[in-house]
Amino acid sequence: MATILEGRNLRKTYRLSRKNTVEALKGVEISIDKGEMVAIMGPSGSGKSTLMHILGLLHAPDPNHGPAPELRLAGENVAALSDNARTKIRARRMGFVFQDFNLVPTLTALENVLLACDYAGIRGKAAKDAAVEALGLVGLADRGGHKPSELSGGEQQRVAIARALVNKPEIILADEPTGNLDSDRSAEVLALFRQFNREHGQTIILVTHDSEVGEACDRVIKMRDGRIRDAGQRAGTPVMATQAVAVPLGAGHSGFDPDAASV
Amino acid sequence: MRLVRDLGRRKLRSTLTITGIMIGIMALVVFGSMANKIDALVKGGSTYYKDKVTVSAKGGYMGVGGVLSTRMADQIAALDGVDVVVASTSMMLSDDASGVSMGVPPMIQGSVAGSDKGRETFKLDYASGRALTAQDEGSNVVVLGSDLSKQLKAKVGATVTLRDVSFQVVGILEPTLTAPDNEAMVPMAAAQQLFIKTLPTLVADKLSVNEIATGLIVYPKTGVDPQKIADAINAAVAGVTPMTGKDFDKQIGAATSVLNAILIGIGLISLLVGGLSVINTMAMSVAERTREIGIKRAIGASRWRIRREIVVESSVIGLIGGLLGLALGFLITTLGNDAGRDSATILFDLTFGTAFSSVAFATILGATAGFIPAWHASRLDPVAALRYE
Repeated sequence: MATILEGRNLRKTYRLSRKNTVEALKGVEISIDKGEMVAIMGPSGSGKSTLMHILGLLHAPDPNHGPAPELRLAGENVAALSDNARTKIRARRMGFVFQDFNLVPTLTALENVLLACDYAGIRGKAAKDAAVEALGLVGLADRGGHKPSELSGGEQQRVAIARALVNKPEIILADEPTGNLDSDRSAEVLALFRQFNREHGQTIILVTHDSEVGEACDRVIKMRDGRIRDAGQRAGTPVMATQAVAVPLGAGHSGFDPDAASV
Repeated sequence: MRLVRDLGRRKLRSTLTITGIMIGIMALVVFGSMANKIDALVKGGSTYYKDKVTVSAKGGYMGVGGVLSTRMADQIAALDGVDVVVASTSMMLSDDASGVSMGVPPMIQGSVAGSDKGRETFKLDYASGRALTAQDEGSNVVVLGSDLSKQLKAKVGATVTLRDVSFQVVGILEPTLTAPDNEAMVPMAAAQQLFIKTLPTLVADKLSVNEIATGLIVYPKTGVDPQKIADAINAAVAGVTPMTGKDFDKQIGAATSVLNAILIGIGLISLLVGGLSVINTMAMSVAERTREIGIKRAIGASRWRIRREIVVESSVIGLIGGLLGLALGFLITTLGNDAGRDSATILFDLTFGTAFSSVAFATILGATAGFIPAWHASRLDPVAALRYE
């Protein structure tokens, strides 16, 4: 299977104040195959959100200590692109789903989906058709005219998924997509992801605390202290082919994340 | 639509900001119209006085005031370089038309029609009726200026009373935006009769009515500098003040340009305040929308898109404020002019240029004011903005 996203030497240090800095990522190597549905798990502060922001081109990896970072999207190194170029990739080639749904409150469900089309440069009838189709795919064909405040949490998250899907992105990144939903709604959302992954070969990266989400994925990548502790095994892939991990496996994750599923 | 909804999100704040701009633009429109009117008056005067020398009695001004004699006209006509001299008799329509009014008070103006021998280049158009002719000398007929005719509510054929004497209206002028709008033009003899009644008996007794004049309009021969004529008059005739177009521009033009600057300045200051309130509104609105901006940035809105969104919104605030301000200014100037009609005080001249530039200015002001918050918004870190509560 072709690699869609590959990171090397990904480091990120946040400066909280003049003296106080946090090294959130300490040199991460990661590889995601096209069509994979991967969960990134780890305790709070493990760097999983930071990794997600870098993989989603919301933040750039630190360029200036250690070996130069690399982030290859379909082979092209996007680690050092300008803000504009990264924005363009986010608009056209990636889809985002967040824990808090993050819909624009003044816009209707349909308009929220259309916003993503607009930013990707798709307008007019083509955009309208795509947005209506995307809302149909998440089962909200008849709710397009509603404002987020008129929708339930599960419905809002499905609108957000439609927004992430509408441009048929190469990768969907979801940050705790079920974090604010009860277990039934979580299962629905997860089933949607699973369905798009199976039926359309959609690559999906989820960051989650929820072991059930992890179990539903093809692979679980476990993080701790800014490093990947376990790159996991791809379902249906021989053990030998998994990504080499720099840290000894074994005692690593289980003590910190007892709920995490062992694959 | 989206934009209207965004403005509607904070109705009170948007309304207050738009009101601020509206008041500023209203001030600019009203004061600008006032400045226009003054400008038109001055320009009209400047054009009128340009090619001639106007002679008044010492202490008088521009052909009004002290008493001259028509005999002086013959004396001046004999001077070198002088082509034609027209004697005129002017007085205020009513003595209590005090200096409160701006511009020119209503005047009665008398001269023998055609005595300029075609030299007068300031053309008057007639809305109705006819011009005075030399044959009107001896009869009490009058041509009314546009504003004055409205004040007196007189039409051609009607009879009006000027200084207790009845006159028949034979013509009404089109608006000139300058002095003639407020004039009642009568034959010379009629003006002389009216004028002598304004003088104290002791003075009046020493004058012969048909020799009275208050101003002499001197037309130089072609190519002769009016200043040379003025100098010659000063040397030859005692007790008079000759005045050229340059003198007029110097005295009136300087005074009015200061006045105009003050008027426009007041309008601009009120707009500055309005502009600051737009900055404040947009900064608040950006702060409130931090999270939304984060969402938009995350899903692919470029910095430029975010900036555009905010600048467009603030421009629309400016535009709406500008249009409302123009509407209010239009209302005030129209009502003001209507109210002033009775005293023939037309204060405002709201031109298309003033209207258009006021609204354009409001829109540009809005856009400029939005730029600082827009810049700030576009520099937000999408991740931090998403976490913003």
